[in-house]
Amino acid sequence: MSRDRCGIFGIYAFDENWNVSRFVYYGLVALQNRGQETSGMAVFNGKKVEVLKGRGLAENFFTSSSVEALTGWVGIGHVSPLNPESDDNIQPVCVNGDVKVALGYNGKVLNCNELTGEKVSEDGDPMAIATALAENLKHSDPLEAMEALMEKMRGAYSLVALTDKGEMIVARDPKGIKPLVIGSFGFDHGTVASESAAIDVVGADLKADIMPGEIYVITPYSIERKRVCREEEKYCAFEYVYLCRPDSVINGMSIYEVRMKIGEYLAKEFPVDADVVIGVPETAIPFAMAYSNATGIPIHMGFVRSGRSVRTAIRPTQFERLVGVQLKLNPIRKAIRGKRVVLIDDSVVRGTTTRNIVNLMRNRIGAKEVHVRIGSSRLVSPCPFGVEVPEKDELIAAHLSEEEVSKVVGADTFAWLSLEGMIKAIGLPKNKLCLGCFTGEYPYLEENK
Amino acid sequence: MKVLLVGEGAREHAIADALVRSPQEPRLYAVMGLKNPGIARLCDHTGGEVRLGKPTDPSFVADAAERFSVDFVFIGPEEPQFHGVADEVERRGIPCVGARRAPSEIEMSKAFMRRLMWKYKIPGRLRFMAFKDIDDAIAYIEEYAESVALKPARQAGGKGVKVIADLQAYLKKEKEEVKKKHVKSIVKEHMRPYTDIEDKILIEQKVEGPEYTLQCFTDGRVVKPLPLVQDNKNAYEMDIGPETGGMGSISGPGVTLPFISMEEYRESVEIVQQTVRAIERETGEPYRGIIAGQMMLTALWGPTIIEFYSRFGDPEAVNVLPILETDLVEIAEAIISQSLNKVKLEFRDVATVVKCIAPMGYPNRRDLARGHPIVVEEDRILENGGRVFYGSINSKNGGMITGGSRAAEIFAEAESIPKASEIAEKCISFVYLKDDWKLFHRSDIGSEVLLRERVEIAELIREIYRYRREKGLIGRQIDWIPGRGRIEYEF
Repeated sequence: MSRDRCGIFGIYAFDENWNVSRFVYYGLVALQNRGQETSGMAVFNGKKVEVLKGRGLAENFFTSSSVEALTGWVGIGHVSPLNPESDDNIQPVCVNGDVKVALGYNGKVLNCNELTGEKVSEDGDPMAIATALAENLKHSDPLEAMEALMEKMRGAYSLVALTDKGEMIVARDPKGIKPLVIGSFGFDHGTVASESAAIDVVGADLKADIMPGEIYVITPYSIERKRVCREEEKYCAFEYVYLCRPDSVINGMSIYEVRMKIGEYLAKEFPVDADVVIGVPETAIPFAMAYSNATGIPIHMGFVRSGRSVRTAIRPTQFERLVGVQLKLNPIRKAIRGKRVVLIDDSVVRGTTTRNIVNLMRNRIGAKEVHVRIGSSRLVSPCPFGVEVPEKDELIAAHLSEEEVSKVVGADTFAWLSLEGMIKAIGLPKNKLCLGCFTGEYPYLEENK
Repeated sequence: MKVLLVGEGAREHAIADALVRSPQEPRLYAVMGLKNPGIARLCDHTGGEVRLGKPTDPSFVADAAERFSVDFVFIGPEEPQFHGVADEVERRGIPCVGARRAPSEIEMSKAFMRRLMWKYKIPGRLRFMAFKDIDDAIAYIEEYAESVALKPARQAGGKGVKVIADLQAYLKKEKEEVKKKHVKSIVKEHMRPYTDIEDKILIEQKVEGPEYTLQCFTDGRVVKPLPLVQDNKNAYEMDIGPETGGMGSISGPGVTLPFISMEEYRESVEIVQQTVRAIERETGEPYRGIIAGQMMLTALWGPTIIEFYSRFGDPEAVNVLPILETDLVEIAEAIISQSLNKVKLEFRDVATVVKCIAPMGYPNRRDLARGHPIVVEEDRILENGGRVFYGSINSKNGGMITGGSRAAEIFAEAESIPKASEIAEKCISFVYLKDDWKLFHRSDIGSEVLLRERVEIAELIREIYRYRREKGLIGRQIDWIPGRGRIEYEF
């Protein structure tokens, strides 16, 4: 199993009058798209670091009173789509030795065994990193401690840590695989988050991407910033296509703009004569709007969602997945019946979701034709850095041609956006992207071969 | 020709440097609290002298001026003005450049400044409330959840200002809490040393936009503007961190900044001109010295006054004085004789960048920033194309010790701001501490990234205020409050 995508958040008030726990809470709510299984925060109040973490969606796990009970002027938070066996491994993890450190990260460090010299369990990687950092902090300042750790760590990581001296340490891996941004609220707060939308939600202004290989150390009376290593960037392409909120700006690029471009390229590559364009909520909506704009086929609202957005690929079992889709998406019959429909979705992993929707539209509602267009190219490989993509056996794209997929899901035609189209839509040079999920070629792993 | 300079910071070092460049070859004398090595050296070279003591003590300064029988006194900082140093010096028949006690109230009392702008209907004014009492301020905060700037009603060394955007209902409680705590600390901490003003707290409407400083010479009759400068107030990179006196600033090329239009520049000068006239009408005293508008381009007005300085800004002075081609002694004489209209101000047409270097601990923990042995390799800085102006540094027994504020300011000029910034960056490492404490500065000041950001924000703001002008909405703000109905604020 892979370490899934996660969301991290950190806020530093430069005035001790602030209580930041509610800011952390709303930051995490804003990042719920990146993890719904565990939620946690750690807050520093001038004396010690207090931690509140547990299982469940941030909105459910935290309560108004539990958040209010936590007071302090520095805080970090974490949401994860993974359920670790031990509660200790829920992030932020805590190391309680001579130096106390709370740490949360997004990504997957591949060589955790080398960091502590001990065998690290399946979900023990955050603890291993925190332990190694705490060890370094015993005899060096935070910047040196983090720098030394980064020299050893190999893999993808955006991390935020909080020490019992009130130092906040923020770092992004040398290839910048995982996103990480920094913002500011007047003269009062510095804010870091996996996505810029979380910076907006807590009322701060986005200032910059934390650069690949860059460390920020924030203390009550300084911010030190150092780019400790520089390798070729490998920004995760899947973040643009699927993971990030459309209102985020990552690596200087607007996610919304990328997704509109994807819709345009889909229309260019796979036009079809149809009556209506329908996007599957929510990621595919911008694809569908742009497809409609480009082809002139009107877009309609095809589905209404019940409950909150929980990504289908994350739910643990096949049964829950089926239930999830049916509960979540209720079709608007009027928009579909008797029409030739272009159905646009964001990805096809196992094909289950798509088959359900096509079946619903054609057999139960009476769509005349259903043409499926997918706003990402073929997903063929699981991600070693934590994007939650299942093993290869479970990926329909790794096994079947488009024509065969079309038969499996019951559509008239079926197409994935080409890899070239997707790269063009993202707008970054190919060599600056990690395209592993689509090609099977990953940074670090190639070097190891 | 003999001149007595009052003050001890990098701003005064830049003034001293401009004075001694004069073809009239003045002897420079200085009154200061800490012994600024840069100013002390200029006094030495010109055959002048340094007097250590309280620059805010009128008789101490006037005594020094009499003893050295100087031709005029030039006051750098604001506090000596607030204490009536100019009044005392002039009373003894010695001319002075620097506002007297009464006109300097434009900076000393932020409440006076706002009332004056409203009374004389000067454009660029903001809604405000002044409070003498903590409870009244707290009651106001509890009633109105709005985006505000909370300020000590008096200039308090640039400290104690808190600006809070209060737009998310779900974070309102925390923000209200901080606002209330902050007005308490304004009264109990920031305003505590001052008994010379009745108002304690100023609550102003919060405005947004790019800031800039317009510094002017004035003899009370005419106002002669210097090129615009933009200061960067956040302590840390990317505009993050607590408010400082300024961590560095940019100017040029030309009189305006890349994000301020000539029309906005002229409107800004007009605001300062109207203010100078209003001050004289209100106080009955002429304004002779320097006045600076700390301004912001806002959707409300276009050019808007955030604060006034009755002196040069620091670091802003260090951008423009080194490129001043007109003789500063001649300017000073023209201010004194009220013939500034005859002087033509000329500057080298270049871009400049100033970067301040401060010991860690500045601005909130000056106790930690103080007392570190510091080295400035001036030759290496010159070799790399920059210049250094000494700030909060005390010369002691042949060595130099940090004073707790910004220790030194690096000046660089080039054909563009980013190029000047690169030169300044090369010079930074030649200022360092001899112990294991650290210095910091902002490498991002003058960078393309930051400039682009300012330009983008300015373009957005410019579109809105132009639209508001077309619609006749400038100077008006319309609200609807449940239970109270439609409220229109006439500006």
